[in-house]
Amino acid sequence: MKANAETILHMKGIVKDFDGVRALDDVDFELREGEVHALIGENGAGKSTLMNVLAGRFADYQGHIIFFGENVRLTNPRKALGLGIAVIYQELSVLPNLTVAENIMLGHEPAGHFPGTLNRASLDAQAQAVLNGLCFDLPLHERVGKLSHARQCLVEIAHAIRKDVRVLVFDEPTASLGSEDVERLFEVIHDLKAKGIGAVYISHRLAELPHVADRVTVLRDGKVVGTREMRDCKVSDLSRMMLGRSLGEVFPKKRNVPGKRLVKVEGLTRSGVFHDISFELREGEILGIAGLVGSGRTEIVRAIFGANKAHGQCELEGKEILRRSPRRSRALGIGMIQEDRNRDGIIPGRSVSVNLGIGILERLSSPMGFLSARRMRKNASAMIERMRVVPPDPDKEIQLLSGGNQQKVMVGRWLALDPKVIIFDEPTHGIDVGTKAQVYGLIMDLACEGRGIILISSEFVELVNLADRILVIREGRLVRELQGPETDVDALFAECVGKGD
Amino acid sequence: MSANLTPHTEKKERKRISFQAIQTASVFILLVVLCVISAIKIETFFTWNNLVYNLLTNAAYLGIIACGMTLVMIAGGFDLSVASTTAVCSVVVVLLLHSLPNLAAWITIPIALLGAVLAGTLLGSVNGVFVSYVGVNPFVVTLSTMLIFRGVALVITHGGQTIMVPLSLSNTFRQIYWGRVNLFGSDAYQLPVPILIFIAVFIVCFYLLRFTRFGHYVYAVGGNETASWLAGINTSLVKAATYAITGLTCAVAAAIYAGMSSTAQAASYSGLEMLVIASVIVGGTPLGGGRGSLLCTLNGLLLLSVIENMLAQFGVHEEYRNIVRGSIILIAVAVDVLVRKTGRRR
Repeated sequence: MKANAETILHMKGIVKDFDGVRALDDVDFELREGEVHALIGENGAGKSTLMNVLAGRFADYQGHIIFFGENVRLTNPRKALGLGIAVIYQELSVLPNLTVAENIMLGHEPAGHFPGTLNRASLDAQAQAVLNGLCFDLPLHERVGKLSHARQCLVEIAHAIRKDVRVLVFDEPTASLGSEDVERLFEVIHDLKAKGIGAVYISHRLAELPHVADRVTVLRDGKVVGTREMRDCKVSDLSRMMLGRSLGEVFPKKRNVPGKRLVKVEGLTRSGVFHDISFELREGEILGIAGLVGSGRTEIVRAIFGANKAHGQCELEGKEILRRSPRRSRALGIGMIQEDRNRDGIIPGRSVSVNLGIGILERLSSPMGFLSARRMRKNASAMIERMRVVPPDPDKEIQLLSGGNQQKVMVGRWLALDPKVIIFDEPTHGIDVGTKAQVYGLIMDLACEGRGIILISSEFVELVNLADRILVIREGRLVRELQGPETDVDALFAECVGKGD
Repeated sequence: MSANLTPHTEKKERKRISFQAIQTASVFILLVVLCVISAIKIETFFTWNNLVYNLLTNAAYLGIIACGMTLVMIAGGFDLSVASTTAVCSVVVVLLLHSLPNLAAWITIPIALLGAVLAGTLLGSVNGVFVSYVGVNPFVVTLSTMLIFRGVALVITHGGQTIMVPLSLSNTFRQIYWGRVNLFGSDAYQLPVPILIFIAVFIVCFYLLRFTRFGHYVYAVGGNETASWLAGINTSLVKAATYAITGLTCAVAAAIYAGMSSTAQAASYSGLEMLVIASVIVGGTPLGGGRGSLLCTLNGLLLLSVIENMLAQFGVHEEYRNIVRGSIILIAVAVDVLVRKTGRRR
């Protein structure tokens, strides 16, 4: 970064509400020319919301954005793009069935001689020029769907900076990249910096920030905690800034010792996804599963839950249970809290009470199938009290609750069944810190009651502090088993990307 | 943090409910307005003769099928084959009456009706199996079975010959349409049997949706099928059951149709599916499901019936009637979409 580089972007006093929930509260953020400014915070801290404001996705934010000395109002994505602000999202938006060249030029295809036709030669030439400018080596005519995830990411970058980009936002670009690809991406970011482009870098991986960022801003619960020069601060400081308290206060103390064997998995395989996974789960044990997105960790637990097919053996208390449906798992006493609450969890338009009871309607109704409103209400109020759902209103439609409270309802749905094994897939995704601490406490309580817990999380700090043991999954294989209390976040991250070898 | 947010969210919720209500209420208000206009413009509109014997009786058998269709559509499905299913069932009823000629009417007719109900449920199940167990898109499945069932009806009537109810049974059988029950102990006000049957079917389906496990599953599957499956619900069975129930309601409606003319013809009832689906959609149950109710459907059914009645009373030509029908469906759905969009933006 150049000394005394000019400030190119200044977001002042940004406020944004969602359905009465304040997602951003008076946030200031500043970006200099040729700077990589990291933006970190817990899930739900407001990082993505702030960048969505910058990308022009919300028309109703409050505050000022000063871009190259001019006061601008970014009310739609077209405006932001026009000014040269581009965002590369974590979920890639490339079109898999188009070629690399077509993807890069998408939306700006050069016209041919006849109206409405496409000038292929010119399209290829322009795309190649973009790639040359970035020093990317990509096959122009390959369908993007055939490329690796990392190379698709490069295509997306090429598409984003095809035009005169002045600010580039990376939203968790390394979430699913292997270590070599991460290094490649860092090189690209350094090249962009050299050209004077300002970059905002959102990440969960505190350990990688010193390699890429110049400054770092920490958000918590929609507010800026502070902005620091990267070289002046330690990763542990950042972690405390993110959480707002030291880890000891957030995570409950372990109180029990695992008992007898509950689940035994052997040689679990699904070709192309995961291979030869074997492990055990004991009563009262919290078994963490660590891995990058796409490593196959979710697919493994879904197979145990019966939602995906797999080969191999999986025993619950000595009984073979593999290749059952979620319905059978439910009957056997295995519950699973899904990663994507909106897609796989909540039933929108239905009340909290129905969402809590939907898994145990057999018990809440007469043998003929008539529901008992009384039993339904009793179950709902018991669970609302136990999970401390706010507001404690069983008749409220579930989509009106905050993410954290929706998650409590999802957990409550399974607890009503009194399951022996509960699988948590990213249980704290998109919920605020206060609720997170409650979820941690709950997971610990459930373990203390003698249930077996499988916990998947991208936030390694959770695994390290909650799990008795941690299985590391890399590219569909179980590569290591770590003792939870004896490991730390950086070591776990190194194992997951394969640097530990 | 959550505590100080509560007032916000509550205010929001009241707003949301009113958005839901606006849609249902707007259909109802339109219904009332049309009734008032009709009452003013058409002297005969508010007569028992027009309202009950004509309007509501016509609405009744559409409504019976619409009850089943509401279940299918709340569960996120769709059924184009109801007209063909009805055709098969009406043919089955009359053929069964023929094949059991030497028994008393009180034995023969129930057996024939039972046969039709079984046939309807079976055909509905065929749809259900292909939609939920094989996983074919409901539009494709029911479009195909619409053709297949129609073909079956044509084949069993030897190419679509009109078949008559045997004369010995005709007088009893036609009561299913023409029969009337005295109201208030006099014959000044009578309720036709089809309306009574509709009320019965409506109450059963209403109970099913509102007060049973199955009903909750229907909403759950329509609202979020994956989540329901992962919550341990047998989503395939629930979806298949909604189609089977629709088949059953088709059989009930078919019996009433057959009673009306004492005949059955394989080629009848075409276009029926559109009227049924229109009633459900205009009422406010969306394509894609998860929301809606039988009361919504009743609302939509009555609105369309009143409009039909007006068109007939005003002597509007058939070709214009279709334009009106189509426009009403389009406007109703467009208003729903627009209201929802503004609701989301806030």
